[in-house]
Amino acid sequence: MAAVTHQAQAIELGGSRSVEAANDHELLAAIRDGDEVAFQELVRRYRNPITNFVYRMLDDYDRSVELAQETFIRVYTSASRYQANYSFSTYIYRIATNLAISELRRRKRRKTVSLFSPFTNDDGEAIEIDPPDLNMLQDEALIANERRSAVARAITSLPQKYRAAIVLRDVEGLSYDQIAQTLNLSEGTVKSRINRARNLLKEKLSAYI
Amino acid sequence: MNGCKYIKERIDEAEKPDLLSFEVTEHLGQCDDCERFAIERAALRKLVAGGTRVSAPINFDAMLNARLAEVKARRSFWRLGPTAYLRLGAAMACLVVMIFGAQYAGLFSGNNVSPPNRSQARTPASALTPIPDDDKPSTSNLANLSPAPVVAGVIGRQYPVSSGTPRVRRGDVLVGRAAPTGYLTAEDGGVVLVRGRNGDMDIQMPTVSVGAQPLLYVSAGQRTVRNVGTSF
Repeated sequence: MAAVTHQAQAIELGGSRSVEAANDHELLAAIRDGDEVAFQELVRRYRNPITNFVYRMLDDYDRSVELAQETFIRVYTSASRYQANYSFSTYIYRIATNLAISELRRRKRRKTVSLFSPFTNDDGEAIEIDPPDLNMLQDEALIANERRSAVARAITSLPQKYRAAIVLRDVEGLSYDQIAQTLNLSEGTVKSRINRARNLLKEKLSAYI
Repeated sequence: MNGCKYIKERIDEAEKPDLLSFEVTEHLGQCDDCERFAIERAALRKLVAGGTRVSAPINFDAMLNARLAEVKARRSFWRLGPTAYLRLGAAMACLVVMIFGAQYAGLFSGNNVSPPNRSQARTPASALTPIPDDDKPSTSNLANLSPAPVVAGVIGRQYPVSSGTPRVRRGDVLVGRAAPTGYLTAEDGGVVLVRGRNGDMDIQMPTVSVGAQPLLYVSAGQRTVRNVGTSF
């Protein structure tokens, strides 16, 4: 990777600007022309946010890495069809969201049962079982770890339509406008979904607030 | 209190939980319910955002490059993709139809007729026998045709055919030699139906127009011309 970075620094884009200084649209244009270094730079910029986003959606690290890679493959293969109407981050998050939602649907068809939420209510939403741990807490690290696990479980127990919106907003920090473009929804719908998701999370995480 | 719903919406929509507008802040100072809501929301957002941020593994790029190479190899084999193949197939079908159409119209005909020798090819119009009006074409008439080679011309003009015309067989081409006496020339244009012992033979000339052409039957022995139908 270091070699690639040095190469990226060395190679000039558009005759005057380096790859690292180029914006996302310029990198996409270079990828369209077959510039592999530009693609590596784009991967460097977005691999962590995309992996993290998909991980928050699925709560499965290995599968998240695979889907993040699939996201970049789709960016590469469809670079010629990319239209710079929106920001590139919106575009790549949309691809990642679609892949994550497809994965969730596939899992739903497989009817996998979570150990934490083996039952569902009348609306089909998972009822989380959070048995009390009677053991003494060891230290702060364990507490923090427990809190993170609880948050992850709470997010993954949200209905799919709320999950994407809340993760894009509160984890990835996208604006309402970007989320609306990413999910192909109106801004009002996005606000409504985020509000609903927060209300659900507040119920699930009341012990930690 | 009036406006609480509106204020809660503003709190929810705030870019950051601690960056609230003056209007909202002013309201929070007067409304305990909204203030509690703002504190809860800030804590919740902090909790959700503060979860573990995972990073891509160290070998992410290597794995991605391997998968990308695989995809490229697959794409080089199916470079065009199903849609492109469909379009290509449609284009090929159109091309085949056009070729058949052009061939049918005679554009590719290699049976070029030699330049006319007017003095030899034509007989004065006065030698022609007019077409009898009552001479309708019928199956029986066609069946009783003389086995001697006869020529039917398809043009507004009427041509005499001498009885001494050499027999034209299927596949005979008039290229490179003068048209025998009694044959139609390229300049005359039209479709010529040659009827002889070996069957029928169509000679398409460069000036033929596309579409149905009237076929006139010229009997060499009887020197009469009859309309026997159209070319198709």
